Amino acid sequence: MENFEINSDQIDKIEKITTKEKDFRVKNLKLFQAAGFPNKNLEDWKFSDFKNIINNNFEELKCKSHSETINKLDLIKDFEHNYIFLVNGNLYSNNFNYEDINKIKINSYDKSLEHQKTDNSLIHLNHALADNGFSLEVEKNYKFKKVLVIYNYFSKNIKNKILNNKSKIKLNENTELHIIEYTINETHNKFINNSYENIYLCKNSKLRNIYLQKNKSEGFFYKFVKNQLSSNSNYLNFIFSSGLKFNKLDIECDLIGENANCNIMSALHLGKDEHQEIKTFINHLQPNCKSYQKVKNVLSSESRGVFQGKIFVKDIAQKTDAYQLSKALLLNDNAEFNSKPELEIYADDVKCSHGSASGSIDEDSLHYLMTRGLTRENSSKLLVKGFLNEIIEIIKSPTIKKFVETKFEEQIYGH
Amino acid sequence: MLEIKNLKASINERSILKGLNLHIKPGELHAIMGPNGSGKSTLANVLSGKKGYEITGEINFEGESLKAVSVEERAQKGIFLAFQYPLEIPGVNTNNFLKTSLNSILKAKGKKELDTLSFLKLVKEKSSELGIDEKILSRQLNVGFSGGEKKKNEILQMKILDPNLSILDETDSGLDIDALKIIAKGVNSSRDDKKSFLVITHYQRLLEYIKPDFVHVLSDGKIVRTGCGELAEELEKTGYKKIN
Repeated sequence: MENFEINSDQIDKIEKITTKEKDFRVKNLKLFQAAGFPNKNLEDWKFSDFKNIINNNFEELKCKSHSETINKLDLIKDFEHNYIFLVNGNLYSNNFNYEDINKIKINSYDKSLEHQKTDNSLIHLNHALADNGFSLEVEKNYKFKKVLVIYNYFSKNIKNKILNNKSKIKLNENTELHIIEYTINETHNKFINNSYENIYLCKNSKLRNIYLQKNKSEGFFYKFVKNQLSSNSNYLNFIFSSGLKFNKLDIECDLIGENANCNIMSALHLGKDEHQEIKTFINHLQPNCKSYQKVKNVLSSESRGVFQGKIFVKDIAQKTDAYQLSKALLLNDNAEFNSKPELEIYADDVKCSHGSASGSIDEDSLHYLMTRGLTRENSSKLLVKGFLNEIIEIIKSPTIKKFVETKFEEQIYGH
Repeated sequence: MLEIKNLKASINERSILKGLNLHIKPGELHAIMGPNGSGKSTLANVLSGKKGYEITGEINFEGESLKAVSVEERAQKGIFLAFQYPLEIPGVNTNNFLKTSLNSILKAKGKKELDTLSFLKLVKEKSSELGIDEKILSRQLNVGFSGGEKKKNEILQMKILDPNLSILDETDSGLDIDALKIIAKGVNSSRDDKKSFLVITHYQRLLEYIKPDFVHVLSDGKIVRTGCGELAEELEKTGYKKIN
């Protein structure tokens, strides 16, 4: 597919929009059309040539969103939870039976037109066409009793679709929420999911967010997440999204209040022809904030893992404590890991460190395990598991940890 | 039990073992002593089946050539190597690893695998026998273990896996006297008329606690002298130079 054109009548098909919203969409569509899909000539996309990947994988692309009826929701039975069920990005159903529903506001996609300026054409495309997603707000002083699972379900008939979703999560003062974003894939066809998410944490709020896949997918995923962290807020994001054909997570985090704390932890195991990028941009804008990022990749045959991590420290952000580490274990000569750490620091009393290491599996360690009767294959599996366990071990709840572990192994070994 | 005939081993075209002969019968404990660089650890590595060596000569274990036998199969047949430098394996729980290891050996022998409960019972029994704090077993394998804890953990593994031939590669080096006694206890309590041991060491010290049936002196890739316990004492006085 060489050229991807979208007619502006796509916007006319979106229901119930104001003139102002329409103008916003038209303006963004023009920006997208001028730039096209991002390619490797752009610094942010140098390791993930999206345009080229899309051209090589799609003959055509259709933009219309796709709604569908599902007979039975296939819910997780391992633990009690609240849920939001999205079908192809569309808010299909939700259930907050374990909570005080007066404290929770849930709506379809975020219609706000206030977004920061960007030169990212996928965001322009999202602004132009997104007409589903969800918007969740938690009233102040409310702490969720049970975890919230956001089922991100992709149905069978979305061949060659490009689905644009826009979501928002706002936690007001003194709130707490644990989310598992659980992607379920029913289709064997290729599609693109371009999503945009705003997360706003008010004072003293706490959000834990786990990204996890139920199964492998032929989907091409791009997600931009903008986090704003007010004072004393705490954000912890786990990324276990292995098994996707293409996935780029673009996470921006603004630490806008003192003592805000941002943690991004990732453990990925990529298989043949899988490409995954995690790009982070942590903005330390106030003093005494902490950020901690640890990304671990296991890369098997012809897979590619990318980590681009930038830490920015504003001149007034004294006593910043920022840490970033990426590690890759390459199981095959044809696997590739690219890492680009960046620090931009304008304050003088800060603690910032970064590191990156990649290598193959240690032969001596393998030998040690084999002398105890384990086959080479099992020894290797054990070492890989050990490498990734460091991240999984951080999950506090034993039930959730067990669930993540099981799903993760299913993704890797297919059982 | 173990019969080695004219064993030659080289790595990266550097010849290390140069025609070694050794015969260990069931129930015997042999000690191999020798100066640095004489080939002691190479012998241990080669017996464990470690890759990377060019090997000629014969190694027979219980009447069967080990030539085409892989590392894990050697372990399954009952050969155990206590490492000189046990490796740290991050993210792998020691107990889980030990259970996997024991069960793969039991399975290969056609025996019934242990469930978690009976495994933990076995571990408790063996570790209290050795006076090892069980807590280290809930930690990651060898990660952050002191030198002594690593060596004790090797001996505990030996006790649990219950091999026919145990090779101890300088298990005594770097140990204080209390740890040394634990190691010796682990070995002595396992000795019977069927189990054999090959104890590689620099010093006579360990042999005060573990009485060998034979002592061999390895020098420049060959066994240059064989004797009984007194040979070790002699070496302690004269050093290795006089032996050559």
